[in-house]
Amino acid sequence: MRVNPNLVPDILAGLQQSQTTLNQALEQVSTGKSVNVPSDNPAAASEMVQNTIETANVDQYTQNVTGVLSQVQAADSALSSVVSSLNQAISLGTEGANGTESAANQQAIASQVQGILSSVVTQANTSYEGSYLFGGTASSQQPYTADSSSPTGYTYNGNTGQNSVAVGDSTNIQINLPGSQIFSNSTTNVLGSLSALVTALQGGNSTAIGTAVSGVTTALNYVSQQRIFYANADSQLNSQETYLQQETVNLSSQQTSLVGVNMAQAAINLSQAQTDNSAALAAAAKVLPDTLLNYLVAPS
Amino acid sequence: MGGLSASLLIGVQALEANQGALNATSNNIANANTPGYTREVPQFTEATVSDVNGEVLGGGVELTGLQSVRDELLNMQIDQQTSAQSSVDTQSTSLQQAQTYFTTTGGDIASALSSFSSSLAELSANSSSTAEQQTVVSSGQDLAEAFNTAANGLTTVQSAADTQVTQTVAQINTLTAQIASLNGQLWQLQASGQDGGTVEDQRDQDVQQLSQLTGISITQSNTGETITTANGSPLVMGSQSFSLQTATGSNGTQQVIDSSGNNITSSIQGGQLGGAIEIRDQTIPSYLSQLNTLASQFSTAFNAAQAQGYTSSGAQGGNFFTVTSAANAASTISVSNSAQVAVSSDGSSGSNGNVANLSATLTNKLPSGQTAADAYASLVYQVGNDTSTASSNSTAIGDNLLSLTNQQSAISGVNIDEETTNLIKYQTAYEAAARIVSTVQALGTVTLDMGSTQSY
Repeated sequence: MRVNPNLVPDILAGLQQSQTTLNQALEQVSTGKSVNVPSDNPAAASEMVQNTIETANVDQYTQNVTGVLSQVQAADSALSSVVSSLNQAISLGTEGANGTESAANQQAIASQVQGILSSVVTQANTSYEGSYLFGGTASSQQPYTADSSSPTGYTYNGNTGQNSVAVGDSTNIQINLPGSQIFSNSTTNVLGSLSALVTALQGGNSTAIGTAVSGVTTALNYVSQQRIFYANADSQLNSQETYLQQETVNLSSQQTSLVGVNMAQAAINLSQAQTDNSAALAAAAKVLPDTLLNYLVAPS
Repeated sequence: MGGLSASLLIGVQALEANQGALNATSNNIANANTPGYTREVPQFTEATVSDVNGEVLGGGVELTGLQSVRDELLNMQIDQQTSAQSSVDTQSTSLQQAQTYFTTTGGDIASALSSFSSSLAELSANSSSTAEQQTVVSSGQDLAEAFNTAANGLTTVQSAADTQVTQTVAQINTLTAQIASLNGQLWQLQASGQDGGTVEDQRDQDVQQLSQLTGISITQSNTGETITTANGSPLVMGSQSFSLQTATGSNGTQQVIDSSGNNITSSIQGGQLGGAIEIRDQTIPSYLSQLNTLASQFSTAFNAAQAQGYTSSGAQGGNFFTVTSAANAASTISVSNSAQVAVSSDGSSGSNGNVANLSATLTNKLPSGQTAADAYASLVYQVGNDTSTASSNSTAIGDNLLSLTNQQSAISGVNIDEETTNLIKYQTAYEAAARIVSTVQALGTVTLDMGSTQSY
C-alpha cells in the first residue's frame, strides 16, 4: 500500500485540535466558568436558568423575611403594651371597686382609666414605615379616630383585609390582623370594655365596676390570645429565614457544580494544552521540510 | 539480423521515452501542491519484437502514454462526506450565532425573568410603595425587551440563511455550467483514446466544490457523468447543464426551483444549501415558535392575574403586557402604556393580595404544561444541544473526511521522494540511452574505417 505523501492536512487537523483545546482551557481559566455558551453543556445551561431565577428570588425572600420580621415584631410589641395597659386598668378597676374609695378617688381612677383607653388607642394606631399595622389592608388611614357618636368614643376606619408576604415559592406568610378583630370585636371589645369601666367608675357602683373589671379581664385574655398569631408569624419567619439561608448555600453550590471551574484542574488543563500544542508545532516543524532532496548531493 | 541502425533506433526511442518520463516526473513535482492534481505515471511498453530469420530481436521501448492514478469510488465517498460536512458546518455557524441570545449575560430572558420574579417578591413586602410598583413595570419592560432581542436575533440568523440560499444557488449554476463544459472536453479526449488527465482533475475538483454547495448524486453513462440533486432534479447531463432558480415563496423566503419548474426546496439535502434551508425552515422556526408560545402564554396568564386585582388607585387591573400579534408574540410583546400593577385584591390601597396571584404566573404551569422558567430552560437546552451536536457532527465527519482524503492522497498524491527517485532513475536511463547513441556512432566510425587507410 502506498503511503500518503501529503502530511499537511493531518498536521493541520492536529494543530487545529490542540489549538481548540488550548482556547477552551484558556477560556475556562479566564472566565472561571466551564459553561460560557449553552453548547458547552446544554443540560447545565438549562438548569442554570432555574438556578438564576431561584437565586434572585431567594435573595428577595430573605430581604422580605427581614423586613416583615421587624413589622411583625413592632405589632407584637404594640400588643404587649396593650396587655400591660389592660393589666394596669384591671388593678385600677379592682381598686375602684373597693367600697372604701371616695367618690372623688373613683373619679380620679376613672380619668386614669380614660388615659389608659387613649393609650390603647394610640397602640392600635401604631404605624410602621408609614403604614398602619392594625387597619387591615386600609393601611394608609389611621384605624381609630375619636367619634363622640360611638359608644366607645372611637370609630374603626380600617377594614378586615389581611396581607400576606411572599417568603418562598408559593409560601406566603400572613403578617397582620385587622384592628376590628383585636380591639373592637363584636364579642370581646377591648376598647368597649375599657370605656365601660370608665363609665362604671364614674357611676361609682361597686357591683357595676366589678362587672366592668371582669369585662376588661376577658379582653386581656382575648388580646393575649391574639398575640399568639404574631408569635407564630415571628417563629415561622425565623424558621423560613434559616431555610432560605440554607437554600442560598444550596443554590450557590449547585451553580458551582453546574458551571463553575475547578481552578486547580483548569490550570493543569491549560498547561497540558500548552504542552500538547507546542509538541504538535515542534513535530510539524521537524517533519514537514524533510524530503529525499535534503540528502542528495547536488551533481558537481 | 539487426544492423547498427537498429541499435541506434532503439537508443533514440529510449531517449525519447525517458525524456517523456522525465517530463511526466517534472510535471508531477511541479503540481505536488496543486489541489485536485492526480499524479501521472508514464506507461512504458516494449516495442514490437521483430523476428528476422528466426532470430527474435527486441524493438526497444515505447512510451504509450501517461496514466492518471485515481479511484472514482473514493472520490464519490469524498463528495458525499463533503456535502454532509458543509451542511453541518453551515448549521453550526448559524447555531453558534443563535445560541448567544440564550447565554446568561444579563440581557437574556433568564436574567429578565429572574429580576421580574424578584421584583414581584419585593412588591409583596412593600406593596404600597410606588417605587416598588415602578420597579415591577421596568423589570416587565426588560423582560419584554429580552423577548424582542431573542426573537429579532433569531430572525436575523434566519434571514442570513435566506441570503445564503440565493448566493449558493448562483454558485451552483456557475459550477454546473463549468462541469458540463469539462465533460464535453473529456468526452472528446476519451473518444480519441487519450487519458483525461488534467481535464478530469479539474472536473473532479469542480464536482467536489459542487458537493460542498449541495448534496448530489452522480451516475456514469457512456455520454459522461450525470449529476443530479439528492432528490433527482438534473444539474448536469453529459455536456449539458441545467440551472436552478430562486423565487420568493408565499412565506417571503427564497424557494429553489429546478429546471422543470418544480419547487424542490424541501427535498434539498446536504451542502451549504441544505444546511441553510434546514436552519431557515426547520431549526430557527422551531425556536421562534417556542419563544412565541412562551411570550404569548405568559403575557395572557399575567394579564389574567392583573384582571383579578385592583391598582393602587382602586381601578380594576388592566393588561400589563401587550402582544400585537400572537403568532409573533416574542417580537411584539411590550409593556402596555401607563401600565399599573394590580397589587390589591380588594381595591384598598394597602392590600397586596393580588401580588401572590401575579407571582403565581411564574411558578404555575402555563397551558403548555411547563412553567415559564421551565419552558425557557427547555429551549436553552434544545439550542445548546443542537449547537453542540452540530459541532461534534462536524468534527466526526471532518475526521472521516480527513481519513478519506488521506486515502485519496495515498493513491493519487505526488510523493516528492518517489518523484525524486524516479527523476534519478529516468536520468540514469536517459544517460545510458545517450551512451547507446554515442557507442553506435563510434561503432559506425569504426565500420566506415574498415579497409580504408584514411581515418574519418
